[in-house]
Amino acid sequence: MSELKILLRDEQRNFRGGDTVEGVAGWRLEKPPTSVEARLFWFTRGKGTEDVGLVNQVRFDAPQQEEGRKFSFRLPTEPWSFSGQLVSLIWALELVAEPGGDTARVELIVSPTGQEILLHRHASA
Amino acid sequence: MRARDNPFATARVHRIRYRFLDGLTWEDLLARLKWMRWRGAIVGPEGAGKTTLLEDFEPRLREQGFEIVWLRLTRERPRFAPEMWRKLSSELFSGRFVLFDGAEQLSRWAWWRFLRHVRPAGGLLITSHRAGLLPTLLECGTTSVLLAEIVADLLDEPAAAHRAQARHLHQRHCGNVREALRELYDLWSEHVTSARRSKELRLRQSLLRRQLKDEGPVCDLLPLRPWPL
Repeated sequence: MSELKILLRDEQRNFRGGDTVEGVAGWRLEKPPTSVEARLFWFTRGKGTEDVGLVNQVRFDAPQQEEGRKFSFRLPTEPWSFSGQLVSLIWALELVAEPGGDTARVELIVSPTGQEILLHRHASA
Repeated sequence: MRARDNPFATARVHRIRYRFLDGLTWEDLLARLKWMRWRGAIVGPEGAGKTTLLEDFEPRLREQGFEIVWLRLTRERPRFAPEMWRKLSSELFSGRFVLFDGAEQLSRWAWWRFLRHVRPAGGLLITSHRAGLLPTLLECGTTSVLLAEIVADLLDEPAAAHRAQARHLHQRHCGNVREALRELYDLWSEHVTSARRSKELRLRQSLLRRQLKDEGPVCDLLPLRPWPL
């Protein structure tokens, strides 16, 4: 069974716009990979149709069946991580290995405060 | 409640795959479709799982050696763009299988035009609200028991706990499971939010009671602003 992992520097998950997210992508795959990519993106989750925005991606050169590679992404200032009752916007890093489409994902918070913006809390304040 | 935590969020609902009601198996269904020379229709009302079933066909048809071509029309986008018609004419051959969601959107004339264009394809499976466009492969339907099972899966609870509510919802939405689950999203969101408000109100009342009994300063513990009711 293949295993993929994303380890973030200092296990940091909360960021401000413009920060750099750094870490190590590790994998142990059943078959030699044709490609391994780390992707930085956001997506929405909630009641309606989901949106997704790919912000940056890194394709690791000549990936081996088992190894770890460093990565680094500079985060944009927006969109912010937020949640209301109808929709949440979630930032994530994903590691994808082909063939097979095995993935690993970690979720991040990106906002001016480094905390998720909670719309219902603001609305009722 | 945050939308991301709602058990009835679209992403979670989409993870629930089609369930056969009458003991049918995938082997039976694929054999039937093959016997129909790979041309058929999945028919049923809105929210009965037609699109989910069509999506579930994709990996199984790939296993049969087909390349899949997806086509989708909706009430909001009921026509193919001119370049799509050109692509259909030029890119279909016997190794390609067309999965077409929302065939009822095409007018009668457009449907016949479509059939001419997809003739070279190795297979064609459509979803439609009405029968008659192609021979019916399967008629989709729902039951309140099915809805209860889906709700139970989403909440990770036994189905028996949801039968009564599912019966009521299924009836109210005329069997449209998608709409029933959307209503549950709202109900869940409101329920958790009001539960949280009640909890905070109880906390506030107990703090005020302590203050009245002069048990010491509690102002630091109170929320900064009054909770709106």
